[in-house]
Amino acid sequence: MLLINCPYCGERDQSEFSYGGRIRNYPALDSSASIETWHRAIHLHDSSQTPIGEYWHHECGCEQWIEINRDVDSHEMTPVSGSDALPGRGQS
Amino acid sequence: MKYSVFSLLGKAVTGQQKWPKIIQPQQLKPAYDIVIAGAGGHGLATAHYLATNHGINDVLVLDSGWIGGGNTARNTTIVRSDYLLNASFALKNFALQLWDGLSQELNFNLMYSPRGYFDLAHSDGELEHFLLRANAMRLGGANAEILTQKEIRKRLPGINLTQNTRYPVSGALFQPEGGVVRHDAVAWGFARSASSAGIHILQNCPLTGIKIENEKIAAVSTPHGRVDTGRLLLSAAGATSKLATLAGVSLPMEMINVQAFVSEPVKPILHAVVNYNAGLSYISQTDKGELVMGGASDGYISTARRGSFATIEDTLARAIQMFPFISHLRLMRHWSGTADIPMDGNALVGNTPIENLFINCGWGYAGFKATPAVGWAMAELLASGVLPDLLKPFSLNRFETGALIDDAGVGPYPWLH
Amino acid sequence: MQIRRLISGGIIDRDKSISFKFNGRRLTGYAGDTLASALLANNINLVARSIKYHRPRGILSAGLEEPSALVSCTDRQGVFVPNLKATEVVLESGLVARSQNFWPFLSVDFGATLQLGCRLLDAGFYYKTFMWPKKWWHLVYEKIIRHASGQGRIENNRDAKLYDKRMMHCQILVIGSGPAGISAAKCAAESGASVVLLEQAPTLGGSAAWEQTKVDSIPASQWLQRTSRELEQQPSIRITLNTLAFGQYDQGLVLAVEQSRNKAAAIYWRIRAKRIILASGASERPLIFPGNDRPGIMLAAAARQYIYRFAIRPGERAFLAIADEDELQATRLALEYAGVEVVGNLPRGGKLINTRGWHRLSQIRFTDELGKKQKLRCDLMCVSGGWAAQAHIAAHLGDKLTFIPSLDALLPASQMGLVFPTGSCRGLAEINDCIEDGVQQALRAAAQLGLVPEPEPDLPLPRAGPAYHQHHQDGAMAFVDLQNDVLRGDIEQALGEGYEDIELVKRYTTLGMGTDQGKTSWTNAMLELARLKREDSNTTSHTTFRPPYSPVSFGALVGADTQSNMTPVRHTPFYSAFKAAGCIFQTSGNWVYSRYFPSQNETMEQAIQREVLAVRNAVGCVDMSTLGKVDVKGSDALEFLSRIYCNNIETIKPGRLRYLLMLREDGILYDDGTVAQLADNHFLVTMTTANSAACWRWMNKLLQTQWRDLDVQLTSVSDHWASLAIAGPEARHLLRHLRPDFHIDRDSFPMASVRQGSLDENMPCRVFTVSFSGELSYEINVPAGFASSLYARVIDKGADFGITPYGLETLDILRIEKGHLSIGTEIDGRTTAADLGLGKMVSTSKAFIGSSLLQRPALSREDRLQLVGLEAVDGSSAIPLAAHLTAAPWKPGVVQLPLGHLTAAIQSPTLGRSIALALLTGGHRRMGETLWAVSPVNNQSVEVRVGSSCFVDVTGSRLHA
Repeated sequence: MLLINCPYCGERDQSEFSYGGRIRNYPALDSSASIETWHRAIHLHDSSQTPIGEYWHHECGCEQWIEINRDVDSHEMTPVSGSDALPGRGQS
Repeated sequence: MKYSVFSLLGKAVTGQQKWPKIIQPQQLKPAYDIVIAGAGGHGLATAHYLATNHGINDVLVLDSGWIGGGNTARNTTIVRSDYLLNASFALKNFALQLWDGLSQELNFNLMYSPRGYFDLAHSDGELEHFLLRANAMRLGGANAEILTQKEIRKRLPGINLTQNTRYPVSGALFQPEGGVVRHDAVAWGFARSASSAGIHILQNCPLTGIKIENEKIAAVSTPHGRVDTGRLLLSAAGATSKLATLAGVSLPMEMINVQAFVSEPVKPILHAVVNYNAGLSYISQTDKGELVMGGASDGYISTARRGSFATIEDTLARAIQMFPFISHLRLMRHWSGTADIPMDGNALVGNTPIENLFINCGWGYAGFKATPAVGWAMAELLASGVLPDLLKPFSLNRFETGALIDDAGVGPYPWLH
Repeated sequence: MQIRRLISGGIIDRDKSISFKFNGRRLTGYAGDTLASALLANNINLVARSIKYHRPRGILSAGLEEPSALVSCTDRQGVFVPNLKATEVVLESGLVARSQNFWPFLSVDFGATLQLGCRLLDAGFYYKTFMWPKKWWHLVYEKIIRHASGQGRIENNRDAKLYDKRMMHCQILVIGSGPAGISAAKCAAESGASVVLLEQAPTLGGSAAWEQTKVDSIPASQWLQRTSRELEQQPSIRITLNTLAFGQYDQGLVLAVEQSRNKAAAIYWRIRAKRIILASGASERPLIFPGNDRPGIMLAAAARQYIYRFAIRPGERAFLAIADEDELQATRLALEYAGVEVVGNLPRGGKLINTRGWHRLSQIRFTDELGKKQKLRCDLMCVSGGWAAQAHIAAHLGDKLTFIPSLDALLPASQMGLVFPTGSCRGLAEINDCIEDGVQQALRAAAQLGLVPEPEPDLPLPRAGPAYHQHHQDGAMAFVDLQNDVLRGDIEQALGEGYEDIELVKRYTTLGMGTDQGKTSWTNAMLELARLKREDSNTTSHTTFRPPYSPVSFGALVGADTQSNMTPVRHTPFYSAFKAAGCIFQTSGNWVYSRYFPSQNETMEQAIQREVLAVRNAVGCVDMSTLGKVDVKGSDALEFLSRIYCNNIETIKPGRLRYLLMLREDGILYDDGTVAQLADNHFLVTMTTANSAACWRWMNKLLQTQWRDLDVQLTSVSDHWASLAIAGPEARHLLRHLRPDFHIDRDSFPMASVRQGSLDENMPCRVFTVSFSGELSYEINVPAGFASSLYARVIDKGADFGITPYGLETLDILRIEKGHLSIGTEIDGRTTAADLGLGKMVSTSKAFIGSSLLQRPALSREDRLQLVGLEAVDGSSAIPLAAHLTAAPWKPGVVQLPLGHLTAAIQSPTLGRSIALALLTGGHRRMGETLWAVSPVNNQSVEVRVGSSCFVDVTGSRLHA
């Protein structure tokens, strides 16, 4: 079981988290967002990239969605810079 | 040389003469009609059917490791075809028909054991859904039954169906032709057949580059140099993504770790394959006596071939719900494989935007059972250039058109499939 | 009579005699014995039969690496475990042990005739035959092979033992308490680290407890006693005995199983450490030569252990074939001490030819250094081809051990990830070296944790081992893997057949795949393979080392999560009230949910019939508490909701609610629910039970990762509110009697509204006019603690109206009669809103999650599966459950591609006839067509007509009554 470094709670066991997949940037929700743009955004990715950025939800802790960089081969993890932009948003 | 009890006796009597190699000695050529990247079950089956069905043997099968060393060596050997969606059912059911008789065709005992597959339902609603599946199977020409608790108990004497379980069993879907096949033997049997037809199989030879000229496949690069080829099939399960990027093709799939484990061997106690559906847990007993168990994926992207032990605990907890005696036994070995799971949970097979470049991947942890059917159909595609009906639904561009085949109805989240 | 027990000595308690049974014979041993040592003490050397050839086997080793002496044991509590190694079983009173895999007697096993066919039964023979006739593999051959295979016989009963799962955290974990490990643990604790020390045996010290060596100038056992005392005085150290560390996992996680001595339970430990010191020792390598498997052939260090630790004379006449000089000397001394005559030893340059003896070794044949053939009578042979480090745990994360040719050994690197191998598991042999090394490794680990300064690198070096080839000989019946009966010839044959990679050799020959995991075979096999392939031995690699290091109990791994405790059970706040009302419950996911409320001996069908009619004609009440509920606040709340639901919501007003559809990013329908506006910028959203958690996660994910600029606050209130819906023509009357403090006439409180207030001035509530049943309906939400009270009031006040509680079954029937959607049936993760006839709900004037990909061409094809209703053409037949729609009736043997499938089929109590919902290819354009609904499993075919999916009150007038 992975030991995930939650920026709010510290190192916690994977069992406290729910997985959210690769970090993806959704296109803006306006009329410019075409099928092609969304298709790329949610279906495709650069498979040569490692470590990958991914989302983990600290469901049994602070309930924040955190972003982690993880090597998919060695499982070594580093938090993504900028996850400290998260506090206070969308959560109580 | 043909394998048989007579040749075994002959060798035994005459002593130390050697059996011929399963892969003939071969000299790598500078060019082939067809190159297949991936000498697993699917790639080798494709080679075999190219030779057998189409008389084509100017083929090279490459693998970065040893034959069958990927998911073919790591699965829990179950074969069945109990799917609702016709696209999934048709291919896997054709495979079942091929499994029956494949040992004889390959002259290699694959140990196809149609001991029956039980899919347990844990509520009336679930059982109703299983009935839907069973009906689909029957309409498709396969045998399927729905069993009551009483009938299950009669056929599986050890199973615990009491109400004192967390998710009591209300019934089961039963496929008589479902069962197990010896996974290693599949790679070896297909390899031996393809090799004896003159097809070259090269181990420890990774594909390092793909050459496209005039918008068509021209050659591949390997550590042994450039090999020209007319058609290239990437059939390397989890490694296919990386290979595809060598050709600039992006595949909509993720690598998820899947684990399996065995107990120490015991005398026969489980004579069928049983699957538990409140959470996933499937179990069978090998001919050596080990209980083989597997469950859901580890639920996150990984190529480490090493998973979270919590998954094994969960799988095991469910196995013990079914068969409490398992508690007495001990874990002997656990292992992992990399399941390549596309965005709707179903395979990516067929053409790519590049002419003469084909893919066969994305089988996740449901590829083994389909092996001979995939080989058969891929051989037809490679030989004729025409996509067989069985493969049409699995096209790469279905994510752009929206023609998804999502058996589980789970969505573009491979770690949930 | 323990005729082979030495009169004195040994680390056994001669005051505690233990009686046990082996193959029906009553025997005694002492406390401190293993089953193996007790058997040897009683001069029992034939213990097992090998798996394939059924050759008589004895005890090769004294530890977990034992390949041969497999037994089944039943302990005093009657708990049965097969496939135990006699060397790992701690002798306890009342133990009943039996050999496995023989018939009819251990001494006369008919299976041994298999040896005569051994040339037939070479590696992989089963791939080459058993293929004809086709069906015979499964019907005949497989059955025979299965019966001959396997080791122990397992009884089909539940394991009554108690198990538990626990956790430990520490800075430095030390695995193994031999000289290196115990020194490392002490040093680590003295450095200020929190330390956990695991020891697989019942006592500390490993071989230091019995080997007759000196540490500095005091006997090892004395040094051990002193060190153990010092160790136990360290406050920051925790020692667990009988604990086997079986695997290393990511980030310092080590899993272990402790065999508890008290209640015959086992505890599964999860240990998180910052650094791991691996002191798991080494096991000796046997020699490969013809006849190297007979009872009486024993590893030299094991012989010494039986002599010194267990006070046993393992034989009368011993022959030695030991590669290392020092070990040869030590073994001689031990045998002399035990009164065993050493009849000879294999000289350098000599070759082992063969052995004789059936149930026990009786003779060794060899050539001496001059090539002259010799034979000697002996009943004990002490062999050693060198040592194999048991460093598997260091390699569990994927890095491999390296073969060092000069040492003839597979060894770990000096640090592998978080692991510091120490002592003999990294190739050291001498006890003082091991002790020194343990200290050094502990300092290195502690330094990396910042506890002490980095020590000067001054690690002891492993000594060169003996050359491999000296002591291994060709010939038949030269076993490489004793457990799986793999011969050297099998390896050669595998290579010859083209199975060249070591992984292929392993799978083809089954080498190392037994319960001993090849501990005594792997290194020899690798060297053999290198020799046969004429490669340098350092080019051969080992197969992936995977946990468990040694087999561990499944029962322990599941712990107490058995039976009904496997996963938590969730009850709604109405559970106890319903139970008292005689409700029949059913498990639905993690919930235990009300299924139906039988009155007076009703069958389920009768109860459902009554409940449905009550709701349609009077009033019923049902638990809706399991729906997900999320409180949404903020100046961007409406904008947020507008983005995640496909409906136009802009026009919603405080006090009103809307039925909404949520799509996935790819346009497929995901969930349906409601949004109610409670006040300005304040909404309450509901979602289905099945997707409650996933929707909550999803909403948070979007706000926290994609739309951080939105001012929205979410609170999950799913568990805060109990929700009881009262539905039926009398619902308003009933509501009035509950005395809400707001107006509830039709115009003041229309359909699709929400009101907040209280009932009878003492029960806070929120009431929603939303209907799943199609009847006039009020969903009354109260804070969860009020559930029982609310229910009591509803039943009390509703008595005049014929209030009828109902559950899941009736809920489903009601919704099917209305064609309302349900997760898993119509909303199956493949259908779009338009497929289900709700295309009009999808806004065309805004972009939302899923709006783009919904435009993909295949999602709007006319031949998609679309929701329709079905009725039997003859008006009376029962439409079969789970049927498919076909053009023709079902005929066995005729393959038909279905045109669609049913999502529901019921006998409608309201209509008095059978109705169904189905997804049909191009269904929306096929109104009025007739098709066949077929269920081949039940041999049913019913002709049906396609129509609207709403069967009752199509105009919805009842909602606005």
